Amino acid sequence: MSHDNSSRSGGFGHRLTIAFTINGRGVTREIRPALRLIDLIRDDLGLKGTKPGCLEGECGACTVLVDGDAVNSCLYLAANIDGKSVTTIEGLSAGVDGPGLDPVQRAVVEHGAVQCGFCTSGMIMAIESFKRQCDTDGVVPNRERIKKSLEGNLCRCTGYKKIIDAVQSLFEQVQGADGAS
Amino acid sequence: MNFDLVSPTTTEDLLRAIDEHRGRRFRFGAGYTDLLLDLEEQQDNELTVINLARLNDPSFTSIVHDGGEMRIGALVTASRIIADRKLQSRYPVLCQAAGQHGSRQIRHTATVGGNLCTASPAGDMACALVALRARCDILPARGDARSLAVSDFFLGVRETDLKEDEVLRRVIIPTDDGEVKTHSDFIKIGKRRSMECAVVSIAYHIESDGDDTMTRAGIAIGSVAPTIKYARSACEYLVGKRLSSLGPSERDEFAAKVVEYASPISDIRASAWYREDVLFNMSKSILENH
Amino acid sequence: MKKSLKVIGKPTPKLDGHLRVSGKAVYGHDISLPNMLYGAILRAQYPCAKIKAIDVSKAAKLPGVVCVITADDVDVAHMSHKRDHPVLKKGEVNCIRDEIAAVAASTKEIARKALRLIEVEYEVREGIFDPADALQEDAPGINKYARGDEGKNIAQTFHYEHGDIEEQKAKSTCIVKRRYVLPRVTHCCLETSVVTADYSQSDGRLTLYSSTQVPFLYQRDMARVLKMDPSNIRVVQPVIGGGFGSKLDMYPFEPICALLSMTCGQPVQIAFSREEEFVASPTRQAMVIDLTTGADAEGRFTFREVEITKDNGAYTSWGATTSFVMMQTFSSLYHAPACVFDARAVYTNNPYAGSFRGYGNPQSTFALERNIDLMAEELAMDRAAIRLVNANYKGEKTGQGLEYATCGHKDALDTVIAKSDYTRKKREYKDAPSARYKRAMGFASMLHVAGGAKIYRSDGCGTTVKLDNFGHLIIITGSSEIGQGSETVLAMMACEELGIDMSKIKVINTDTDIKPWDVGVHASRTSFVAGNSLLGAIGRLKDKISPWAARYLKTDIEDLDYDNGEIGCKTSGRSVKIDKVVRELHFQDPNVLCMESYYYEPASDFQDAGYKGNVSGAYAFASQAIEVEVDTYTGQVKVLDVYVGQDVGRVLNPLGLMGQIEGGVVMGMGYALTEELVVAKGQVVNPTFHNYKIPSACDIPEIHFYPIETHDQAGPYGAKGVGEAPLIPTPAAIANAVSNALGVEINALPMTPENVLKAIKDRP
Ligand SMILES: Cc1cc2nc3c(=O)[nH]c(=O)nc-3n(C[C@H](O)[C@H](O)[C@H](O)COP(=O)(O)OP(=O)(O)OC[C@H]3O[C@@H](n4cnc5c(N)ncnc54)[C@H](O)[C@@H]3O)c2cc1C
Ligand code: FES
Ligand code: FES
Repeated sequence: MSHDNSSRSGGFGHRLTIAFTINGRGVTREIRPALRLIDLIRDDLGLKGTKPGCLEGECGACTVLVDGDAVNSCLYLAANIDGKSVTTIEGLSAGVDGPGLDPVQRAVVEHGAVQCGFCTSGMIMAIESFKRQCDTDGVVPNRERIKKSLEGNLCRCTGYKKIIDAVQSLFEQVQGADGAS
Repeated sequence: MNFDLVSPTTTEDLLRAIDEHRGRRFRFGAGYTDLLLDLEEQQDNELTVINLARLNDPSFTSIVHDGGEMRIGALVTASRIIADRKLQSRYPVLCQAAGQHGSRQIRHTATVGGNLCTASPAGDMACALVALRARCDILPARGDARSLAVSDFFLGVRETDLKEDEVLRRVIIPTDDGEVKTHSDFIKIGKRRSMECAVVSIAYHIESDGDDTMTRAGIAIGSVAPTIKYARSACEYLVGKRLSSLGPSERDEFAAKVVEYASPISDIRASAWYREDVLFNMSKSILENH
Repeated sequence: MKKSLKVIGKPTPKLDGHLRVSGKAVYGHDISLPNMLYGAILRAQYPCAKIKAIDVSKAAKLPGVVCVITADDVDVAHMSHKRDHPVLKKGEVNCIRDEIAAVAASTKEIARKALRLIEVEYEVREGIFDPADALQEDAPGINKYARGDEGKNIAQTFHYEHGDIEEQKAKSTCIVKRRYVLPRVTHCCLETSVVTADYSQSDGRLTLYSSTQVPFLYQRDMARVLKMDPSNIRVVQPVIGGGFGSKLDMYPFEPICALLSMTCGQPVQIAFSREEEFVASPTRQAMVIDLTTGADAEGRFTFREVEITKDNGAYTSWGATTSFVMMQTFSSLYHAPACVFDARAVYTNNPYAGSFRGYGNPQSTFALERNIDLMAEELAMDRAAIRLVNANYKGEKTGQGLEYATCGHKDALDTVIAKSDYTRKKREYKDAPSARYKRAMGFASMLHVAGGAKIYRSDGCGTTVKLDNFGHLIIITGSSEIGQGSETVLAMMACEELGIDMSKIKVINTDTDIKPWDVGVHASRTSFVAGNSLLGAIGRLKDKISPWAARYLKTDIEDLDYDNGEIGCKTSGRSVKIDKVVRELHFQDPNVLCMESYYYEPASDFQDAGYKGNVSGAYAFASQAIEVEVDTYTGQVKVLDVYVGQDVGRVLNPLGLMGQIEGGVVMGMGYALTEELVVAKGQVVNPTFHNYKIPSACDIPEIHFYPIETHDQAGPYGAKGVGEAPLIPTPAAIANAVSNALGVEINALPMTPENVLKAIKDRP
């Protein structure tokens, strides 16, 4: 952001320059100060995989990772990703060879955890961040924990069960342990 | 949505920015989970948001345990509260409240300071902080910082004691390091089991000594009055008593004292009678099964 | 009888699952056409008012605005099957959704800003928000386009009867009469409504990128409204973010979007915000059901008398015809010797109702199953036993003329009773000390059409299959995919029949210019009707291929086996690659392409004027046993376990099937416990996910599913429709469980903690 120590506003109607990483690629963009991250992602960067479900933080369809943490891109100021790294659904399979899917995506397909799919991008991003946190903390979450980790992602089609199953399958090691929030 | 944005990185810049915007319309932005919804309909070009998210000052951004007190920066997010070991063991009620705040996504961005400054009667971390008798550390654009009990910070629905040129820097919970047994929880009642805005909430933090005698009790209630309330007489009622020896009539007496602090309204989420009944029942439940 | 199958019955992930999990599936909101404008609609500020003046001049002048339209600018016909719904409202508004003007602009923000600049002068009138008030002698007429032939402010009535009510009453030992009140709930598709219209002024053709679930009816309706030739309208269906019945009707925003595009000559997109979605998309009918039922001393059901008043809202959608389905439950769920059914949909100034998964059936099932519990209580019978006594049976022809060629009702009941361990738990509940938490179990069953429903003149579906020179199969089906997984099931069937790998099968189903006719996704019909249609087309394709293959392999057609991309001879073991056969047919004389079409029309009846007749090709039955725990301190209901026994005919894709079951049960839970679109004086009070609570992951119970396979001759591989069934009995079973747990009567939804606590407080 043009906030090189400057707290001064550039005057109304001015634009900010932000530099960030999107799905591993560095970009610089000029934006309106009030731009939401979801609009930057969908309209400006053309990454339509991130979905608008409510624009009020309630549904999670817009979930992306900012420096690894899942956030609602509809309630995140685009200006605040300056210097940060953003991962969207499109960035997941990018690291995988060929047209493959990353393990979370694969688990979701294989467990039948996707129906209409509109919640799915956000759901998968939430799972990614939860999985990373569990791995970092060295915990294997139980079913209740998994449910709790999905509380910010509404799904109207699946009834969640297959999604929970898919998450559980990602931790197929020691069972019964608990931890992580 | 339209506004201008300034992003100070140091406290000095922040205070200068506040000073420069004196007399003009401006808002602070921390985690933006309230603010962006608030500004949804903001159309004209007259508003500046002073972006706190870029501040690099530890007094705003960190959790410090320092002898006699815990200092939690206003910009500390709910997820960081949950993960803090010291808070988990010493003031679990705050972690319990933060753990029920919105969703994981919301918790990754929502800040303690935002929760206090929004001054919603349903604020969860705010409720826990009232129960813990925390104090606000407030910084004016010019002059010295001041400090104020969280319960006095709230003046009404969405109304705080902050002056136009003041910013909340941190909250401070007084501590002593003696060995205590704590009995605490954050109870939040809504229609669903998660992602709820409280219809009734109770934060309690009760400390007892080796003899099971209660030595300190802090109880705060949310969503049942224009502001979060500290149920002083109910707290006083407990101190000196033994948790395990309270019978049904004492539990009712205690619950009745809590309810005295409630003046609920009926709205789309619940009726006044419901809030009051549930507040009574849940207060009672705090003392059950011991 | 059952031949062993290769893919059918095996858990199969969604055909295009990889696209949906990688963000590559293109939904309506993701469409962006060159030069596209953004449309926005100005809606009424009051639910009932005269419009004295509209001034759009300021909006029109805003830079970026390309056009503004009002009713005066367009020449269109009224919408809805009752033709009582003007696209843009003129002179008056009758509901808070009413569209008054629309704008097309270069950005969403400008379009929204322009709306604020439109000045409307209203003369506010007292609205009518209660159907009972609308039925008063002196009530003003609400919808001036209503035909009114059935009475003022009555949009539609239904009368049905069979059997001798008086005779059955005389036989009854117990008669229970209750009133049930059902709220307005809404679909909450995760994707809000969206349409993109692209009109070409040079050739007069209109392309609509629409989420409709009935593309051909939509094309016809759109043409009628816009006064166009239907064939000049092409409907393209992007991936749909949830349907559940909400896309059965066409709504005003869709022709409005077309009109904007026609006016500007540029593509225009209208996408709802979530708030607009809550305010302006249809709801399940709110209704009051007065139900009287009887049973004899053995618990055998004798008669049912039903009177239903539905809040139609200001205009009539297909939803008004839910009585078709509702009456079936009263006439034919459990053996019912006599039934009289009267329903009317009454105009009010409330938001109008539409169709929603289950199509009236959750409401009627709720009423009926509550009454059954109350009768059991009165007769001192066990709640499971009374249901078993009356369960439907194979070969039954009901009073309404439904013919149960197969019927898994009793099996479903037996299964959930056994699996839920009901008998033991019932004893335990009785002995449980009165504590804060109360537990109990509740039962409910349901009957639903499962082989289409002939409510339109044709209930059929066309399919074209094309086997290309490289052994890949393209299925062009009339049916639509709305997330329910029908594409996958179709591909599985083709894989089964032709031995072609799933990865070599494509389903094309999104373009009315290409695909053959189909009535649309509703009535749980797609797997059944489109499945039979596909099997017909494949049959024809094989008629072409098999003779050649048999000649080549020097064997009989009966001896051929399609497997693994090859056609083999079962006796000799020799085989030939299927693509080779296609090429040979193509390049030899006479040159033949492997492409075939078939149209399937179910053998069901169009019902007579008395609504009698076998309306569906098959019927689904299901029973659920649900265990709940109620917190008497807060009134919160926790659904612990849901046991589902459902007659699905035959399991085609267990993975897809369970997804439908679990999704349906959880949606039913929302209806039962937390959801209600609160409308006060015609205004929607809670148009956000914040205040309209659908279940979240933390709320879900354990769901135990037991498919009952009855192998219905009429269905593909014996399968029946499944889509709507799982949601239907859930609210009833939960209400029965909560009532049992607390010793109260829950006769209204939703059972919010507050409503439950109130029931506890009011307990005598
Ligand atoms: C989906 C959703 C779920 C939610 N669930 C909960 C919940 O369960 N419990 C709950 O309590 N809340 C909930 N909230 C509300 C919100 O998340 C909290 O109030 C949060 O703590 C606000 O913090 P923030 O950092 O996002 O504040 P912001 O939105 O950035 O700011 C909130 C207000 O405080 C002011 N402000 C912020 N920081 C300061 C400061 N340091 N000094 C002075 N003023 C300041 C801002 O100007 C603004 O007026 C939810 C919100 C959403 C959208
Ligand atoms: S769109 Fe962001 S949470 Fe719903
Ligand atoms: S799959 Fe449709 S909302 Fe989740």
